[in-house]
Parts: sequence; C-alpha cells; structure tokens
Amino acid sequence: MTDHNAPAAAGQFEFLYNGRPVRSAVGQTLAGALHAQDEHILSRSFKYHRPRGLFCCSGRCPNCLCTVDGEPNVRICITPAAPGMKVESQNAWPSPKFDLLAVLDRLQAFMPVGFYYKRMYKPRRAWPIWERVIRQIAGLGRIDRHNSGGRYEKLNLFADVAVIGGGWAGLHAALAAADAGADVVLIDEQPELGGHLRHDPDLAQDAWAGMLRQATDHAGVRVLTSSSAFGCYEENLLGIRQGNRLIRLRANQVIVTTGGWERPLVFENNDRPGVLLASAVQRLMHLEHCRFAGAAVVVTDNAQGYRAARQLVAAGTSVAAIVDVCPGPPEFAADIPVFRGHTVVAVRGSRHVAGVEIAPLAGGPSQSIACRWLVQAVGFTPASALLYQNGCQLTYDPACDHAVVVQYARGMHSAGAVNGTHDPHAAALEGRLAGLAAAATVRPHDVSLAALLADARRRLDDWQARRATCAAQYVAESPAKKKFVCLCEDVTEQDLCDAVAEGYANIETLKRYSTVCMGPCQGKMCQAAAIALCARETGRTIADTGVTTARPPEQPVPLGLLAGRAVRLALVRRTPIHDWHERAGAQLTDAGDWKRPRVYSSVEQEYDAVRCHAGLIDASTLGKFDFRGRGAAEFFEFMYPNRFANLSVGRVRYGVLCDEAGILLDDGTISRLQDDQFFLTTTTGNAAAIDSWFRWWLAARPGLDVRMTNVSGSYAAMNLAGPRSREILQPLADIDLANAAFPYLAAARCIVAGVPAVVLRLGFVGECSYEIHVPAQFGLAVWEAVLEAGHHAGIQPFGVEAQRLLRLEKKHLLPGIDTDALSNPLEAGLPFVVRLEKPDFIGRQALERAARRGPRQMLVGFRMPDGFAPEPSSLVIHDGRPCGRVTSSGYSPAAGAAVGLAWVPAAIARNGDTIQIQVDGRLLAAVVHDAPFYDPAGDKLRS
Amino acid sequence: MSPEPMWRTHELKDSYDVVVIGGGVHGLATAYYLARLGITDVAVLEAKYVGFGGSGRNTAIVRSNYRTPEGIAFYDLSVKLYEQLAAELEFNVMFSQHGHLTLAHNERGVSGLVERANMNQWLEVDSRVIFPEEIQELVPELNLFGHCRFPILAALYHPPGGIIRHDAVVWAYARGVDRRGGQVHQQTEVTGIEVRGGAVEAVVTNRGRVKTRVVVNATAGYASTISRMAGVPLPIETHPLQACVTEPLKPFLNAVIVSSTLHVYVSQTDRGELVLGAEMDDYASYSLRGTLGFLEGAALHLLELFPCLANVHVLRQWAGLCDMTPDYSPIMGAAPELRGLYMTVGWGTYGFKAGPASGFLMAELIATGKTPPRLEPFALTRFAADRLVGEKAAASVSH
Ligand SMILES: Cc1cc2nc3c(=O)[nH]c(=O)nc-3n(C[C@H](O)[C@H](O)[C@H](O)COP(=O)(O)OP(=O)(O)OC[C@H]3O[C@@H](n4cnc5c(N)ncnc54)[C@H](O)[C@@H]3O)c2cc1C
Ligand code: FES
Ligand code: FES
Repeated sequence: MTDHNAPAAAGQFEFLYNGRPVRSAVGQTLAGALHAQDEHILSRSFKYHRPRGLFCCSGRCPNCLCTVDGEPNVRICITPAAPGMKVESQNAWPSPKFDLLAVLDRLQAFMPVGFYYKRMYKPRRAWPIWERVIRQIAGLGRIDRHNSGGRYEKLNLFADVAVIGGGWAGLHAALAAADAGADVVLIDEQPELGGHLRHDPDLAQDAWAGMLRQATDHAGVRVLTSSSAFGCYEENLLGIRQGNRLIRLRANQVIVTTGGWERPLVFENNDRPGVLLASAVQRLMHLEHCRFAGAAVVVTDNAQGYRAARQLVAAGTSVAAIVDVCPGPPEFAADIPVFRGHTVVAVRGSRHVAGVEIAPLAGGPSQSIACRWLVQAVGFTPASALLYQNGCQLTYDPACDHAVVVQYARGMHSAGAVNGTHDPHAAALEGRLAGLAAAATVRPHDVSLAALLADARRRLDDWQARRATCAAQYVAESPAKKKFVCLCEDVTEQDLCDAVAEGYANIETLKRYSTVCMGPCQGKMCQAAAIALCARETGRTIADTGVTTARPPEQPVPLGLLAGRAVRLALVRRTPIHDWHERAGAQLTDAGDWKRPRVYSSVEQEYDAVRCHAGLIDASTLGKFDFRGRGAAEFFEFMYPNRFANLSVGRVRYGVLCDEAGILLDDGTISRLQDDQFFLTTTTGNAAAIDSWFRWWLAARPGLDVRMTNVSGSYAAMNLAGPRSREILQPLADIDLANAAFPYLAAARCIVAGVPAVVLRLGFVGECSYEIHVPAQFGLAVWEAVLEAGHHAGIQPFGVEAQRLLRLEKKHLLPGIDTDALSNPLEAGLPFVVRLEKPDFIGRQALERAARRGPRQMLVGFRMPDGFAPEPSSLVIHDGRPCGRVTSSGYSPAAGAAVGLAWVPAAIARNGDTIQIQVDGRLLAAVVHDAPFYDPAGDKLRS
Repeated sequence: MSPEPMWRTHELKDSYDVVVIGGGVHGLATAYYLARLGITDVAVLEAKYVGFGGSGRNTAIVRSNYRTPEGIAFYDLSVKLYEQLAAELEFNVMFSQHGHLTLAHNERGVSGLVERANMNQWLEVDSRVIFPEEIQELVPELNLFGHCRFPILAALYHPPGGIIRHDAVVWAYARGVDRRGGQVHQQTEVTGIEVRGGAVEAVVTNRGRVKTRVVVNATAGYASTISRMAGVPLPIETHPLQACVTEPLKPFLNAVIVSSTLHVYVSQTDRGELVLGAEMDDYASYSLRGTLGFLEGAALHLLELFPCLANVHVLRQWAGLCDMTPDYSPIMGAAPELRGLYMTVGWGTYGFKAGPASGFLMAELIATGKTPPRLEPFALTRFAADRLVGEKAAASVSH
C-alpha cells in the first residue's frame, strides 16, 4: 500500500511521528507525508475523544492539531515537513489509534449540551472534586516547561494598497492597482501565489502563469508568500504572520480577496476520518502527490465536486458515486453514477469511512454505498473575517447562501469568491475593479484612472455572474445523535436544538452556552451551520439570526511571535555613571526601568559621611524637563498648587503636583534660570507619567507660549551633600558658592569641572547640598572630579538606602511610598505648598473643600520609645480598628530611636499623642513627633 | 422531551414596580434579590442579550483581598454569596477557588502587598505574603529564578480567590429572576427616562413606554449616558479594557496570576484555555475592537512571567467597556436629588466579582428605603463630600 503512495519528489528525509520514523520529501507537509503512510487517525476530538483525520487540509479545522517540536496545537496540514521534526499527537492516550478516553463517546447521551452547568454542583464540596477530574482530561496540547520558543522578529511595512489573497481575483487586483501607480503588497498564506488554481488544475487557465509572472516581476508589487494576515485593525493596520516574523503593515487601502472554502455537511458520523472537503482532496492530490486508495463518493452541488471526482478517477481512485444535492441536470461526470437530488445522511465505519448512506432529499428510502472516502463540495463559506474585523457590514444574501458586503468600511474592498463570485471571468473583473478603485483613492487626481475605473465597473455590471441557484440543505434530516455541527467542540445538531429550546436563542448566547464556534478554528467550519440551525429552531430568517462577532486573530498566533524579541531584550536604563558604580561594588536596585546604587559600603558609613563630611549620590534617574516660553510661569501657576509667577531668576522652589481631586501625584523642584526658562525635576518613578500629564494639560492651552522638552536622559545629575560640600565644590565651580552669594534654594547655570552645569542648592537629606546637572556625556567625568576634590574631606558615594534614612530624619516624604491615592498635600504635612488664594490651579476646588473641612487623617512622624522599628505597611490601630499605616521607618541615629512616618486619624495626630502600631499581632505604642528628627530648625541645610 | 427553558419571553407591560436597565450581572442580581424579597413586578431591560456587556467579556476573577476596610467587607460578602450561588440557583457557575497571586517585582510593590495582607488578616480574609520558594510550589512554571528583567520578589497569596464561569452566573441569575416571577426583556433598549416633580415617572424603550417609580441604572460602560437621560451627571469616564484567550492546553495553571508591574494577568479555565488581560486602554472610548498593540504587550509581559508559553497560540481577542470613577470604586445607592433613581455603576475593571453583593444590598435598599451600612461608603455623594475610597492602589490591573 505504502509503495504506490510514495511521493514523487526526490530529496527524501525522515521525521518522527509518535516516535516512529516517517519518510517525507521536500515540499511535502507533515500531513501529506502521514497520509502517504496511511496514517489517517491524527487526533482525538476535544470532548468525546472521537477519532479524527484530515478534513480541510488548509489549516481551518481542528482535526490535525499535533505537538510539533514542543509547540502544541500545530496544524500539520500546513506545516512543511523537515528532517528530524518530532510530531506527537494530542488529546489521546496511549495513542490516537487506541485512546482509552474514547469511552466518553459512548457516554454522549449522559452529557447533553450544558451538561456541566446542570450537574456536579451539589453538594458544594463535590464541585472541586469534579473539577479536578475535568482538569485532568481537558485541554489539547501540553506545554513544555523547558521550551521558550524560537527566535522571533518584527517588521513594519507601509503600502498604498494591501491585497490579501493571491488567487485569481487578488492577482488582478494587485496588478490593476500597481499598473495604476500604487505601491502594492500582495499577501498569501500559501508558499506560492495562485489560490485555488494551484490545486484545481482544470481551472488553471493559460493566462494564469502569465499573471503570476507579471505579479512577481512588477516593480510596484511586493509579494509576501507563506504569510497569513490574521488581523485587520483600526486604520487598516494588518497583522501578518510570516513564519517567525510578525509584520505590521499599515495600508491606505485593503483589498480582501481571500476566497473561501466548502461548507461542511452535517450528517451522522460526519467527523469520521475519510470524510474530507473536496479542496482538501485536491490539495493532497495535486500539491502533495498523495493518492486515495479504495473507492470514493463525492457529494456536491456544484462544478467543483464534479471536477474533484474526475480528478480522483484520473489519479486512480474509483469514484463509486456522485451525490448531487441539486435536482437539476448534472455536470459532466464521465462514467461515474450520479444520484441527483440526493444527499448523504450517514457514514458507516467506526475508525474510518467504510461506506455512506444516501437518501433522496424529497424523502424516500436510503441506500448504502461502500467506500473509503467521502468527498464534500457543497456550498461555500466565504473567508470574510477580515472584512468583518475592520467594520464592513455584511448581510446574508439568499442568492449565494452566504453573507456579502453591503457597506465597506473606509479603505476596504473585496473581490472574487469572498464576494460569492466564483466565475473566473467575473472574479477577474471584480479584482481589477477593486484594484483600480483602491489606486484611485490613493491617486485621486489621476483622470485616466477614473476612465479605466468606469470602464471596469461597466464591464462587471454587464457580466451576469452565474450563481448557484440550488439552496442546498446542509443538515441531513435524521434522528441520529452523532451529527456534528462543530468539529472543534463536539457540538451536535441535537445540542444546538436543545440549547435553543432552553432559551439560548440569540446566536451569541447559543455560542457561549453550547460552545459552538468557540474551538480552535473559531467557527470557520461550523458557523454557517450553527446559524442555519439557530434560524431553523427559532423560526427566524438567517439574516435576522445574525452572525457571531468576528474577533481577531483570524488564525491562531503564537504568543512568542506577538511578543517578539523584547522578552530577552527588556529595557534597562543605566545612568552615565553606572559602570563606575559597578566597579565600586555597589549593590544595584531597580527604580522603574533604571538601575540605581542601593548601597556601596554600608548604610551606617554612608550616613555618617553625609552627616559629618560629605556624600555624593547619583541622581541621574530623576525626571528632568526644560521649559521655555513667556507662558511658562503662567502654566506652572495652573499646574502646581503653589506660586511660581513670583519665583525670581536664580531661585529654585519645591513643588507638588496634584490631580483634579487634590490628590498628590508627585513632587520635585522648579528652577527659574532666566525669565522665560525653567528647569524642572520630578521623581524617578513618575517621570513618564508626569511627562504625559504636562503634555495633556499643555494640549488644552494651545495659545500659551510654552515649549517643553523632556531632558531626563540628556542630563546626568548628582547630589553633593554634607557639611563640607561647599569647600569641595567651590574649587570646581566658576561661581561664588559662599552662603551669602549662593544661599539655600539658589539656582544657577555655571561651569563645574569645566563642564556647563545647572547647580541647585537643595536640602533633601538635611545638609547643605548641591544638586549638579550636567550633560550626560560628562556625567562620569564630573562625578569623578567631585569625588577626587572631596577625597581629603572624607567624601563617600552613598546609595538610595542611606538617602532614605537621611530624608526620613528630615520627615521629607516620598510620593507613592508615603502617599497613596487618597493623600492630599494638606494632610501629608505640606500645607505650605497649597496657595488657595490663587485663582485657579488643578485640584483647587477639592483642596479648598479639604481645607474647609479640616484634616481627617494626617501623615505624621513618630518615634518608638523602645527601640524597635515597625515594618512599613504595619497597621495603625485606633479604637480597636485599623485606621492608618506606617509608610516609612528606620532607626535614626540622630533621634537615638526608631522613627517613622505614618498615616493616622487627625484625632491622634498632635505632637505627643500616642498611637498603637500592630506588629506581629501585638500592639506597640509610638509617640507622634511633629518636628524633624534631625536639625529641626533647618540650620544645617541653610548654613 | 423538550428541555425546560431558562427564561421566558413576555410582552412588555406598560408599567412595572421596578425597572432595571442592563442585563449584566448587576442588573440581574438586583432583580433576583428584589424578587427574593417579594418584589416581583420587576423588569430587566437589556438592549442586546443578557451578558452582552462587561458581564460576558470579563476575565472572571473573583477575590476579596482588597485594600480598604470598606472594600474588603463588601467584596468578602460577594465571595461568600458566590460560594453559595450554584446551590441557591441550581446552576453550576463553576466557581474555582484555586487561589489568587498578586506578584510584586520591587520593594514598593512588596510593601503594598504587606499592607493589604495586614488589612485582610485583620478582617479575617485569608491572604498572606509569600516568597519565591513557596510561590514555586504553587506555580512551578513561573519564571522565579531564571533571567528576568524584574524578578518576582513576593506575592500576595489569597487562597479563596479564583475564577468563575461568568456566562453561567448571568444565565443563572436570569433564570432566577424568571422563576421568581420577574421578567427579563432582551432586545429592549432604553432610549429615555421621564422625570416629573423630582421623581422618576417612566422609561421609554424601543418597544414602548413603561411607567415605573423605581429605575435602577446597571449599565456599566453606558452608565453615564443612561444617567444623563435622567439629568443626573456621573463622574464616570468609559475606557475599553481588552483581553484574549489561547487555544486549550492541558491544565497546568490553577491559580490566578496578576502582576501590576508587568501590566498582565492570566488564569487557565477548566477547558484549558489561558485567559489573559492587561491594563485598560488609557484613552476614553466606546470602541469594542481589540488592537494589535494590546496583543503584543500582553504577550510580551506574559512571556516574562512564563517563558515556556512562547509557542502557545492566541485564539481570540476582544474588548469590553469599563465605567471608571475617579477613585476606582463603584457608585451604589440612590441618586441624591432624584426620587426613584438608583444606580449600581462605576464597576470599572473589577465589577464582576461584586455582582452578588451589589445586587443583594441594592435590593435591600430599594425594598426597605434604608441604605445598608456596607453600601454607605460608595454613595454618589462621596465625591462632593470628598470621601473617596482608597482602592486605587490595589485595583488598577488586579481586577
Ligand atoms: C476585559 C474585561 C475583563 C474584566 N475582568 C474582570 C475580572 O476579572 N473580575 C471582575 O470582577 N471584573 C472584571 N471586569 C469588569 C466587569 O466585567 C464589569 O465590571 C461587570 O461585568 C459589570 O457588570 P454590569 O452588570 O454592571 O454591566 P454589564 O455586564 O456591562 O451590563 C450592562 C448592560 O447594559 C446594557 N445596556 C446599555 N445601555 C442600555 C440601554 N440603553 N437600554 C438597555 N440596556 C442597556 C448593555 O447591553 C449591557 O448588557 C472586566 C471587564 C472587562 C471588559
Ligand atoms: S486538516 Fe489540518 S487544519 Fe484541517
Ligand atoms: S468547528 Fe471549529 S469552532 Fe466549531
């Protein structure tokens, strides 16, 4: 048997199927090779574990899903075989041929539609047990914990016109558009252009080869083969999978020429291996050189079925009968017996087709015909998903018995079989018309194009597209139970009838309840039948029944493809001084996307250096903004609760940003460097959010003369702090840093270590300190220069850990750590930044109300009488209820005690009040402490 | 033998005691508990079909490990009602309490989790912070020790959390309403609300005018438009939220995994599909279309957590509408200045789990005229009174 099935092509190799070597040839798919080896049971169905074999051979059904090289749920009928591939079948144990769970098929009667909803919930404890069983047998493929996928890449393309589908209509559309001057991308999921002409040789006209050559040679056409367009998103953004490459194609115009496929019939055992769509048989014969041993029966209502039958005969298969659903005169059938006005009502055979039962549609006794193959070519399902996805309106057209476009979305066109136009001449005309129309939109002033377009339109109108007039009956009338509407989910006709009777009469509810259309093919094989049945059972028309929403992706897409390589290339932002930190052995920590030194030597040492000598911390991660324009001060007056119009040149001021509800978003500094030039800083974590916050509000004030530039990455920054910082910096700076000349909250542009810098006199850690901003490329040089200059004075680099403790001693809050989505500046201990006398600013109304009602909760400092610092997030308990929390804490050498910040009810927020903090189930007392724990008068930072 | 219908279809009467607008979980649950309290002349009016809105589009995460005492108490009631629901409504809603893990990837995240754990434990909600070794035992597939840009430092483990079959909840409530004498009207769109003398008088629908003294707005994404029909503005902005589902895989993931740092969450249904979602779209819109950008982002972040899922295929994506309030908490109760208008709205990205509690308490409010204490913090008046609910830090991506 295997001998005469041997592939014709040379270049043979082997792959492994369930551990067994299978011979294959270059150009063959895995499925083709397995068919040639008489391997016909490829999988087991989802629910009843029924045997399943090749059905569509075009990647549109669930029947051939296997795990290939560790990738679960691969459709092997569209996967080219390659040497050494490991193919394993799924959902079957021990093998697809002998699957123990096939017993479920016999229990079908006990598992009516919605079975899970009706059972297993009583008593309550039963469900978790049942669920464990269900989770044992559910699902298809298995993931491989050690496989992190292949290497993926992304490509962005732009085109005037994208043509999806390289069949007859698509070729005409692409060439017409390209000839008219448009830049065209032609996309086809097959390895070669040609659509169904490739596997239906009787149709291939002389013109075909010429057209193909023209398309591939045309300078205006880029051809993407083996590329499946899985999504048509807003503004004509196409998602395309080409192997391991994700292509994002933005096209001005999209022409959908995706054709379609035969509509599966619903009859008893219609899912048996050996039942195939005609195009599947044609693909296997003509593209894979497969044979069909034994007899076949073809059921059809159109010319394609007759062609397939004749081709089978030519290839050596005996065709026992053509069952023609139409009563009219048959097509040319050679010597094959034709049963007109008949349909198939059942298939016999338990693991493979052994025969079919056919009956006259008008009623009457059925008869059996022995055969091994049942080939279906009845009706048509257009591949219109992309049209739906992008917002085209389609309506059911009884003339062709499927939905057709009645209203195109902007920039969308379609042509050929997807419109129900099967005649090659008409499809070519439609394609040409679509191509010209698309090109005309891109080149609206081209007069000659308009003439061509009018001509094409007239010719198409003249052409009376011949359409099938026989409305086939897709669901055989019989009381049989095993008539599968949905192959993916094992949903039968009876299931759908029951579901409708139970009230799930809306097509969307019917889908969700019965799970019809919800399987791996997303309804490609079953939607038409499900709608027809729903219409029949509810007495509505098919048009009134509607369709289920087409949701992308049109073909399943691997997560790895969507993610791309970014998984391994995740963004890490390093400051210009990063390498120095690493060399110095700093422990690094994440701050948003940034890496920051957390500690170099020890927190105690670094703390001591800052308090007694000097310390230097890398602050390059701060958000930094350059604002210019005469309207900048006015803009800040509106953005910030405090005043900025009166900020003098050469001064810096602390500011917090609030939202409309008066909630504190972020804090930072604003320096006025010139009358119309400001330099802003934000916290590291909020830089991006504040960037969009500013832009959002700037957009609302178009007339204002404000230009904003985010310079966060362009500047390195460092903060030199400590009693000896002035003496360290002075020799490096070209301005006088004496306290009188450059006091607390002064700001200046100057030269530091030979480099242009912005220097701000701040005091976050409570000492005299200078925040130095320099162009990023000089960051390291300045850093080293400052360290060197400070060497004699005992300078040390310090990390964020020491900084946190230093600022905690000053009770300086960290937004997002000491505040949350309910914190306003009044209650957070920053009433001085809120200037309610200003006419308007963001959050004013809310803050005014808050001021009027007085504080409800307060952020307070506290000290622990006995040594022990409660963890941040510990609860504050009052009146036996949690009513606050610790936000920061630590041991303060200055206070000689554990101290912290906490939110507490206003009633216990006065200096000296005792609060209770829950630690490990016990309550510890703490005392509210109003003043900073270090240098309460602020002399140090001003000195 | 034809099966018993879940709900019947009726002519629309010209008056009802109570009209509920919106056939999602909140509207149906409200109608159901009203009927249970004996108020059976209730109509639920649904523009499309039951479950068309967020209730048929959500990712069905149910949990009560919220942050504030008022939030925790409310959601805890909902979880308890969900635990009883299958038995009460005689319909298996498939509540899988396999646990819920919120991951933290930085110190700030960890301390947020500790805070929630402390508050949860105080209110006797089962929740605690666990660290990588223990996380690994629960979810061995998670990338805990391999290369990872933002390594997982800790997780808030909430054993009673999990997922539920959202459609089943909707259908079961709809059947419950029907069986107790209420009416569910699908394909019935409210186009106007008539008000006279400071009170609601009638609603206008595509099937005619219906007199009523009590209207409940339970329309989620459309809530602000419905409220405006009655002249009551709501501080709500509607944003799309997207999700997607993969092909079925043999179940390996029992717990729900959420990471707000990576903006992604994932669970695996009993059918074996992975359901994943992200943050809501940051622009206001009524669009129900998915975007490619969402798929790319969600996939990227999921693979950071589970590198072994690179070969898994996405099957379908969708979007739903979220009615966002400024404090990421719902608005429940009576309209302050219009008699007869009630609302349970502002359910945002997190409202499915709240359906039973909201319906239960709203029914009590309507039946007794008194606001149950658990509803009080969520009144519409809180915005003017500056009494926001502090869930924002815990709600964003956590659903
Ligand atoms: C992708 C996604 C994921 C989510 N994940 C979760 C989650 O994991 N956990 C969680 O708890 N929550 C989640 N949510 C939120 C949750 O889905 C919603 O909060 C919840 O479903 C709201 O229910 P509802 O009954 O209020 O509204 P909906 O279910 O939206 O119902 C409102 C109904 O009102 C109808 N309606 C609107 N206008 C009219 C009119 N004029 N007349 C009549 N009827 C009208 C609509 O058709 C709709 O059916 C998610 C939401 C989305 C979109
Ligand atoms: S046979 Fe492979 S997908 Fe249908
Ligand atoms: S046949 Fe695939 S979803 Fe029904």
